Amino acid sequence: MVWLALVLLLAFPVAALAADPLVVSVWGGNWKDTVEKVVAKPFTAKTGIPVEFEVGGTLDRLAKARVSKAAPLVDVTFTTTHVGRLYISDGLFEKLDMTKIPNSKDLAREALRSDYHLGTWAYVYTIAYRPDQVQGEITKWTDLWEPRLKGKVGMPDFDPSHIITISALLDGGDETNWQKGQERLKRIKPNIAAFFATDARSQDLMKTGEAPVQVMLSINAFHLIGQGMNVKVITPADKPGIVGIDTAAVMAGSKKAAAAHEFINMALSKEIQEQLVTTFKAGPTNLKAAVPTALKGQPGVFTSPAEWKDRGYIMNDEVRAKTLAAWKEWFNANIVAK
Amino acid sequence: MVALGALFQLSVLTFVPGSLKTGGLTDANFRAVLAPQYLRYIWDTIVLSALTTILTLLASYPVAYALARTPSARVRSLILVLTLAPFFTGAIVRTYAWMLVLGQSFIKWPVKLLFEPEGVLIGLVHFSMPTMILILAAAISHIDPVYERAAASLGARPSRVFLRVTLPLSLPGIVSGSLVVFAWTFSAFPTPELLGGGRVKMIANVVKDLALDSFNWPGSGAFAVVALVVTLLVLAVTSRMLGREAAADGHRPA
Repeated sequence: MVWLALVLLLAFPVAALAADPLVVSVWGGNWKDTVEKVVAKPFTAKTGIPVEFEVGGTLDRLAKARVSKAAPLVDVTFTTTHVGRLYISDGLFEKLDMTKIPNSKDLAREALRSDYHLGTWAYVYTIAYRPDQVQGEITKWTDLWEPRLKGKVGMPDFDPSHIITISALLDGGDETNWQKGQERLKRIKPNIAAFFATDARSQDLMKTGEAPVQVMLSINAFHLIGQGMNVKVITPADKPGIVGIDTAAVMAGSKKAAAAHEFINMALSKEIQEQLVTTFKAGPTNLKAAVPTALKGQPGVFTSPAEWKDRGYIMNDEVRAKTLAAWKEWFNANIVAK
Repeated sequence: MVALGALFQLSVLTFVPGSLKTGGLTDANFRAVLAPQYLRYIWDTIVLSALTTILTLLASYPVAYALARTPSARVRSLILVLTLAPFFTGAIVRTYAWMLVLGQSFIKWPVKLLFEPEGVLIGLVHFSMPTMILILAAAISHIDPVYERAAASLGARPSRVFLRVTLPLSLPGIVSGSLVVFAWTFSAFPTPELLGGGRVKMIANVVKDLALDSFNWPGSGAFAVVALVVTLLVLAVTSRMLGREAAADGHRPA
């Protein structure tokens, strides 16, 4: 009997390891490492289900999901909230069963993006800069237009929605009436040093000093600061930063939908959210999550419904998804073109 | 052919903003990409490809000549190894190295090169040189040195021997190398993507922009079709012009 018990004890972990893995699609580098360490490990420890990752850029993964729609290769996808809309429009996400995600009840209202995808962490696109490369301080969005920043500003060109919306907000418009900011945005051209298409390029440009002032993802700015770089990330005084919310969803047709729901529920739990906040320097979406004192009040870190409302500007996902092509075309013709 | 078919099919379907689904048949994508904004990218690509071809030829010919005609086998081996060395590093690695060189962090250039057409041009020329050198060296090594010796023995100065004998006889290599470099520069992607910093775009970069940044896959398909037609036309015209030139010298392009 003793040997039988030993065999059973040994057999259980082996069986768990041999179980079909849950496949999670996420960005590479720090994103995958953090999700693996903070969410996947405890998930496997609790359920015995191993987790595998498919990593890639936002749009590469969307393209892959499209072509494997009939037989999805992924069970859980992390993506940005407006790209999530594209997944939904193509029937790639499964409608979530909120009864299987009880932690969704603790989410900030802004994190409930749709019936298909839920916000897992937040950040802002704001101004980050190297004080050693710039004369004077930068405290507000309108500073980006000042002559002292000639040839110093970098911004994303793969998605110009942030700077287009900021420019519109400064001139009394918003993402719907974005034309109001067009003339202002044209005037920023002399200050632009470079455009970037990836987070890695953004950080390279900051490190080399090619673009020491950037419209930058707060998480990336904190990452550079963590590496010992002299970078300041600010909460602009005139208009708030543009909030980005990364979301998680279950892929339509997933054979492990129950486990996928459990994975998302775990990612939204108070304990995991607290670890995500500390690691990413991002804002939690679970309002019960405690934020370290050092991070309170930092750009992109919201801890109450009031902060979510006042300290960041959240664009309408649908408007953003539908207008992105027009924005991009206008931006390329009028801002990127020499 | 299947991929081309899919491309053509995509190019005539309606783009639905905010959705990955496509609508019915339309010619709107072609009307959109035939606007000056997009035609400018095609023109920029033609100009950059032509300049790359000319500069690559000028920079490669002396190296190719040395590779083909240097008497010392050891020196020839050294030139060959140096020529082939870039092949052993990927295009991305080479381009990142150029970003460091052309930026202001290591060398303080008097003019801005990174994220400017000049910087992209330098990267494209460097990328193309090994191939051009090998094609030219093969052509030059096929020229019988007896012709050059005969010209010299009749009193021609070295420069005249080169201009009247070596250069015309190496024309097949010049034509082949130029066509190869022109064609592949036309479809360059990583060099303008990284060294252009979003400010210098060639056709492949715009196709990627439309498809992956704007989610406008039908528009991207239409632009790719237009670019393909222009590429074939430019290559046909160039090939005919260079072929006629070579034929006038009594040789046909290789």
